[in-house]
Amino acid sequence: MAASNITLELKSEVEDLLNAYAQCIDDDKLENWPDFFTDSCLYRIIPRENHEVGLPTAVMWCDSRGMLEDRVTALRHANVYQVQWYRHLLSNPVITSEDGNTFNVQSNYAVFKTCNDGESTVYNVGRYVDVIVRDNGVLKFKERSAIFDTHKITTLMVIPI
Amino acid sequence: MTKQSTEGPTLVWPKKYNEIPKAVFEMEELWPKELETIFYGEEWHPIVHRAEIPNPGDYKAAELGEMPIFAVHGEDGEIRVFQNTCTHRGTSLITESSGNKKELECPYHRWLFNLQGDLVGCPNSRDYAPGFDRKNFGLAKLRLEEFCGLFFVTMSDKTPPLKEYLGESFYEPLSRILGGDGRLKLIGYQKVMYDCNWKAYCDNDGYHAPLLHKAFALLNWQGGKGFQKVTENGHLSFESELKIPDDITALEDGSILDFKGTETSTGSIVQMQFPVTVYSKHMDMLNIRYAFPKGPKGLEVHYAYFSHEDDDEEMLAHRIRQSSNLLGPCGLISMEDASVFSRIDIGNKTPGNAIFQKGVEDEHKLSFTVKQNDESGNLPRWEHYRKRMGFERSES
Repeated sequence: MAASNITLELKSEVEDLLNAYAQCIDDDKLENWPDFFTDSCLYRIIPRENHEVGLPTAVMWCDSRGMLEDRVTALRHANVYQVQWYRHLLSNPVITSEDGNTFNVQSNYAVFKTCNDGESTVYNVGRYVDVIVRDNGVLKFKERSAIFDTHKITTLMVIPI
Repeated sequence: MTKQSTEGPTLVWPKKYNEIPKAVFEMEELWPKELETIFYGEEWHPIVHRAEIPNPGDYKAAELGEMPIFAVHGEDGEIRVFQNTCTHRGTSLITESSGNKKELECPYHRWLFNLQGDLVGCPNSRDYAPGFDRKNFGLAKLRLEEFCGLFFVTMSDKTPPLKEYLGESFYEPLSRILGGDGRLKLIGYQKVMYDCNWKAYCDNDGYHAPLLHKAFALLNWQGGKGFQKVTENGHLSFESELKIPDDITALEDGSILDFKGTETSTGSIVQMQFPVTVYSKHMDMLNIRYAFPKGPKGLEVHYAYFSHEDDDEEMLAHRIRQSSNLLGPCGLISMEDASVFSRIDIGNKTPGNAIFQKGVEDEHKLSFTVKQNDESGNLPRWEHYRKRMGFERSES
């Protein structure tokens, strides 16, 4: 149950952010992906196996907007990989806030991957642990960690989660 | 564990040293023989670094070929590697990839082993068979040697001592990857499954690096001077200077490529130890890639990353940041390798040979002189593999 200072309006606003983020990636509009973050930000994709025993190494770690943009540049211009599409399914967002300005949100996700052979697989499953703030009136991620259970990655991961 | 007669499958090897039959990646019947002659044969395989299990009771599970094993840090400070099986009826003892235990208990009949592998408890033993002696039922230990905190096992009594097996041209740069003195700290793992035969994974070469990895060109990375050294038993070391331009225009945030190096080396080191292990030090990343073939198809690789015990907070943060971005399954500058492993697996289902060109001066002779961007450094490894497998070269 959400904390009492979380209004239905805010809950819906947070869910809109989570959904728009997933749709941006699934629709391959990755050039817009950095816009979901504040300029000073932390985005990580980290195996749960590391996270739970306090090992800090992630598989992606962007601690500036520039690093988010560099990921997209590399994906578009340098990395070689099989054509692939993601489909994110999101569920169970739980929102808490101490001060009404910074929102801690945890939600579950499953990413299905489909390659050009037409086969869809459950590619990566985990939870998002987010710190969301208002930036010029708009909710953005100050921190977003995708902590994934599927710690054995199939072949490679090029598209952000 | 699969047992195989000494007969085994045969494959006629091309006469020319730079030609490798594509079937070697695709013939599933080679796997039992590879287990016997390579993974359970006279080779050393790295299993664990002390930094991964630094405290008494820490353990890490692994596999050697198809055999489950685990390393454990004993009460006496010693690290040992055991077969992961109860000496009673064979139940596996360790089920987690790593953790800490005070003792090792089999849940089936509650046989209990201490961290040194001795059987210390077995319920109702007065009713056991007359010949039972607890002393004969300690855990099965593997032959073990250490180098800079890294522990290697071998199934054969005949394998030469580790340093002799690796050779100085290999263990000297390896010591630099292991921080010079082996005083490392584990900072995490990245695990990945490649859908190729294990030999495709370790057939990567010095020729491809600036060509496949477009990030190198995008970043205006002019590879500095470098060289390869190869041993007769197929271990290969690459070393090169790392020249990173001051102004990286392709990146919005170039700080990820800072080189703060404190190790004795200034550049990049990549080493491939026969049969299937890669070690690397790129910029400030210290990396061991433990590799576990899943039969003839599929290879699981565990990238283990380390910092050095003497790192200050800034250096530690920097290593974590680089290790979390540049290599491995999401490696900004190197993930293309994984794509190629998959494509090699598809393309080699065609007849004929894979033919190495770059650096080959004489197709009829094996050469150990290899330049930085040659692919011919892989050929001694193939020759070692051919001999281990007992394949004859064709006459014509």
